[in-house]
Amino acid sequence: MNNIDIEKIISRVHSLPGELVPFREMLLANVVMISEIPAPTFGEQERISFLEQRFNEYGLMNCCTDEVGNAQAILPGTDNLQAILLTAHADTPFPASENHTCTVDVEKIYCPGVADNSLGLALLATLPTILEGLGIRLQSKLLLLGTSRSLDQGNQCGIRFFLTNSRYPVKSAIVVEGIPLGRLHYRSMASFGGMISCTIDRKVNHKSAIEILNQIIYQLGRLTLPVESHTDLVLGAVSGGASYKIPARHAQLKFQLRSDDDQVVIDVTGQINSMLEEMGKEQGVSLHLEDIARTQAGGLDSSHPIVAKTRQVMTALGIQPQKSIYSPIITSYVEHEIPAIGLGLTYGDNIHYGDEYIEIDPIITGIAQLIGALMAIDGACHD
Amino acid sequence: MININEWLQSNTFHHEQFSDLPQLIKAKEKQGLKISLCIPTLNEEKTIGKEVVLFKSELQDRYPLLDEIAVIDSGSTDRTLEIAASFGADVYKSAEILPVMGFKRGKGENLWKAIYQLQGDIIVYVDADIKNIHPRFVYGIVAPLIYQSEIKYVKAFYDRPLALSQGIRPTGGGRVTEILVRPLFSLFFPELTAIIQPLSGEYAVRREVLERIPFPIGYGVETSHLIDVYYEYGLEAFAQTDLDKRVHRHQETRDLGKMSFGILRTFCKRLKDRGIVANLPELTANLRQFQALDNSYEQVIHEIYEEERPPMLKIVAYREKIGIDH
Repeated sequence: MNNIDIEKIISRVHSLPGELVPFREMLLANVVMISEIPAPTFGEQERISFLEQRFNEYGLMNCCTDEVGNAQAILPGTDNLQAILLTAHADTPFPASENHTCTVDVEKIYCPGVADNSLGLALLATLPTILEGLGIRLQSKLLLLGTSRSLDQGNQCGIRFFLTNSRYPVKSAIVVEGIPLGRLHYRSMASFGGMISCTIDRKVNHKSAIEILNQIIYQLGRLTLPVESHTDLVLGAVSGGASYKIPARHAQLKFQLRSDDDQVVIDVTGQINSMLEEMGKEQGVSLHLEDIARTQAGGLDSSHPIVAKTRQVMTALGIQPQKSIYSPIITSYVEHEIPAIGLGLTYGDNIHYGDEYIEIDPIITGIAQLIGALMAIDGACHD
Repeated sequence: MININEWLQSNTFHHEQFSDLPQLIKAKEKQGLKISLCIPTLNEEKTIGKEVVLFKSELQDRYPLLDEIAVIDSGSTDRTLEIAASFGADVYKSAEILPVMGFKRGKGENLWKAIYQLQGDIIVYVDADIKNIHPRFVYGIVAPLIYQSEIKYVKAFYDRPLALSQGIRPTGGGRVTEILVRPLFSLFFPELTAIIQPLSGEYAVRREVLERIPFPIGYGVETSHLIDVYYEYGLEAFAQTDLDKRVHRHQETRDLGKMSFGILRTFCKRLKDRGIVANLPELTANLRQFQALDNSYEQVIHEIYEEERPPMLKIVAYREKIGIDH
């Protein structure tokens, strides 16, 4: 893409926020309707059906749900020589029993999962109407994909399935998340998500499994993590026991190890395994490490045209790109060597809590940014 | 008396029967109908934004079923009006509509003034406190009026269990319906027992009917509508649509007591006016409830007046507005 082309795009991007105002209610309505359909990982069918219905209503091509539950459709381009993939994950960490009632006030929408990722999915449902209304038609065909089984033990199964089995070679991809606006992710860290389970055989050992887990946490804290590879160990969740008055028979710890070096993750995981093996020698103590999710390091350089042009689009809209460039949402694309970026649409907070919310006003800027990025990538695809 | 079972077969619908919105809009446009949505409010900031966003987007912008979306407010002190206006609803203060008639605080007052203020040949009333709002709450009850000219008044009903161990399920209204209204209907207007949820706040009605009936301003408005429309047009004029589930605020038993009292006063007035029960004494407006205070009990008296607004057709300003007196 030459400079004249990107200047044209930037010039158009400047006018987009004003042009997008008439589409605001349509997007918000989709946010509300999607948010109120519970979609725990492995239980996203109803939300996916809604998205597919929206795709059908618009008259997109090849609307369907695949065998792992991704909703997909194609918005044709002018020459269809290339395909750009636009995805948003459909699942949330909230169980179906959670109250999914939305509250809409002048500035914010509150609902469990609204930021991660009902807004992203609503954008997919609304974008064809928006592009048509704005008179924007890409050269490339646009593959729209609402993915299933992304979070936690879903381990990005939906997008991995699609990238492995898609009939359409994907030239580039944008992953849409609700928040935060300013996110520009294009690299994936190597990571290992694990769950350590501790079980006590009460016949031979009267310790609490929580006590053992506590020792494990202490030992994990003593691991030496290489600083130069930005290696980090996050203790994410613990659970265990049945009552305050009985020693816990079972306890679990979920953690994530991440680094920008694949080998470091392999090495440290090996150390954790050895540590558990040693501690598991205690009579009546059974320790087990289970894989939750793995990602590999990689992605685009900051000078890659897609990254550079997207940064230009963001800057033109007054969006300051965040410093962090890593996200696990990029990992599946790294595995398939597809250039991909992750973008956020608005600001919000309390993510993964019952009072999760998004801000309404910045959404317009977020959509303008996404459309600008799409146009830039479309241009780059045809260079 | 018509066969209730036959009526249930022919005039009871499910919203899914009407989910083809392009077809519904085609039928509406062919008849040149205008449809207005009225949402009566009083301090509904928690739910009003969502209702307006959904209805405006889905039933105006995407599918032009509604010609206007109006919020008519009884004097909210929260951000109800600001929120509704910010998402594109027409917002009216009830007190400022037909000021010559004064202002009375009550949902029925808002519904009545909507007839004057709004343009529709059909007016759809939807309560503002619905947590699981969805476009079906409107199209489900408007569609029978569009498709069948003989139907004049469509009520919503709710709560269809997704799975049943037996083929038969209880079709229930709320507590006040089952304990008060249905027994009263069984005694005096048996055909009206076929209306599964007579007190639901969601109904769509033709203007020609609305302008001919009086409006209690308080709790009795739904009950009075059913009786008055039934007297004028018979059960054939009614239809009802199953909208599945409705999630709304839970009301305390004491509040239901007040509601029941208001309904009962409205009901008794109709029994008297229509000569069904003679020699009813003058009815008090005082509802007496009791509350315990340590070991003693004290009486709490609530004054509940069920004032009524006359049929809109009797209001000169309305007749002038629609051109009858010219």
